[in-house]
Amino acid sequence: MQLLDVRDLEKRYPTFTLDKVSFSLEPGYIMGFIGRNGAGKTTTMKAMLNLIHRDGGEVFVNGKSFFENERACKGEIGFVMGEFDCYRNATLRTITDVTRRFYPDWDEAAYEKYLSRFALEEGKKVKELSAGMRVKYALALALSHSAKLLILDEPTSGLDPVSRDDLLDVFRGLIEDGSRSILFSTHIISDLEKCADYITYIKGGKILASTDVLSFREGYRLVSGDREHLEVRRSKLIGCKEHAFGFTGLIRAKDEAAFASCKVAPADLESIMIYHEQEDSHETSVL
Amino acid sequence: MKHLFYKELKLCLPLQVPLFFLFAAMLFIPAYPYLVACFFTCNSIFYTYNQSVGNNDLLFTALLPVSKKQVIQSRVRFTVLIQMVMFLLLIPMIFVNHKLVPQGNPAGTDASLTFLAAALVLFTIFNAVFIPAFYRDETKSGKNFLISTIAVFVWIILWEGFMITASAAKGSVPFFRWVAENLDVFPATDTAWRTQFAALAIGALVYGVGTWLVSRKAVRIFERVDL
Repeated sequence: MQLLDVRDLEKRYPTFTLDKVSFSLEPGYIMGFIGRNGAGKTTTMKAMLNLIHRDGGEVFVNGKSFFENERACKGEIGFVMGEFDCYRNATLRTITDVTRRFYPDWDEAAYEKYLSRFALEEGKKVKELSAGMRVKYALALALSHSAKLLILDEPTSGLDPVSRDDLLDVFRGLIEDGSRSILFSTHIISDLEKCADYITYIKGGKILASTDVLSFREGYRLVSGDREHLEVRRSKLIGCKEHAFGFTGLIRAKDEAAFASCKVAPADLESIMIYHEQEDSHETSVL
Repeated sequence: MKHLFYKELKLCLPLQVPLFFLFAAMLFIPAYPYLVACFFTCNSIFYTYNQSVGNNDLLFTALLPVSKKQVIQSRVRFTVLIQMVMFLLLIPMIFVNHKLVPQGNPAGTDASLTFLAAALVLFTIFNAVFIPAFYRDETKSGKNFLISTIAVFVWIILWEGFMITASAAKGSVPFFRWVAENLDVFPATDTAWRTQFAALAIGALVYGVGTWLVSRKAVRIFERVDL
């Protein structure tokens, strides 16, 4: 059974539409949710959690319809939207004291462990924490109620590289027993390279791809060559950057034969995203 | 729901709220439009809601394992709690007022059960104007408070004006004499007690039904709000 199943989720604004967003995630995996600023990542996550009113679609958590079982499903989800920015004058102790009451499966030992791991002091007020520490506090709360599904909106933004690496270790550790999954959005693609099993890529409110990282990467190649190669093959390039000596670009793996005379290399996630964002005229599914 | 209530008490209760309860002591003033004392409780409600905007309380609460409906219901119940604390404080004040100002209040309504009924209607008017508007757009809470304050003061002026008129015209208009002797006075006769209990029951009914309808309306609005 899928731990998370999003089907045809829609939200229409005057200038932006979340267009039938669908993807799913099995237990025991980490899914990276990528896309440019304004692509619809946060809107998707908020619509999934009924924080914004959806215009269509369904979300199932552990087989249950989220919108028909909102309380029960929320109990199984740990959600972090960037840094914790609520009750700035309250201490962490007070906020935790309130929060833990809502979760019958609150794990005090886990909470204490994350406080210690993230070097958080419960006696401090929210306003006394740095942006990175606020992210860590939000994560400590989300990780301490035995949530099956973690939905994290840019959880690594604002963290230093050591903390980010530590957090990715936490993520890997959390899914080890195969019962939990993590969906997290980020602009830091290197974080996904380190820990994501699946990638969902959204562009302009539409899902372009939702697949495992390996398949996603193997669907593309990076090519480089001189300018005469570029002119005859430009139509097969998803995106390219021209420079004094020629070009570097992204192609689909199936088009590799057309670039036999060019230098071809495996594509990394960041390059795939960057070149795709140059592809303004193509709106069809990637895979 | 009890956990949401606990959250309201621990994280959402502004320091001003207990201070505004002290305005119940305005009933010690010999000549004053006593309904104004109840307006300060509306101020408490405004501070509570406004502080929740700064605290991102709606988002925090909506992420807890509760439904959007419960988020609103708990806040409305917390509002009722604040108003009922003020209501209960006013009851002994009526008796104290009677000892201090036995001749009655020349500046408006006398401290009586009828006054308590008028206070409940005042709370209902405030809730009806402020709460749904708040959930329609919490960023405009200041403007919504101004509009609800105007509505409340229209009620205060109408009520106090009516009681002043009744007091002034009781010698010439039988209806106003009945009002002055049975409604706008500390009850001294069985008839006055009965009449005022009836008035209080009507006030309680207006408050109960009105606030229930306000809660339903606010839930409907909040279900469609994008956080």
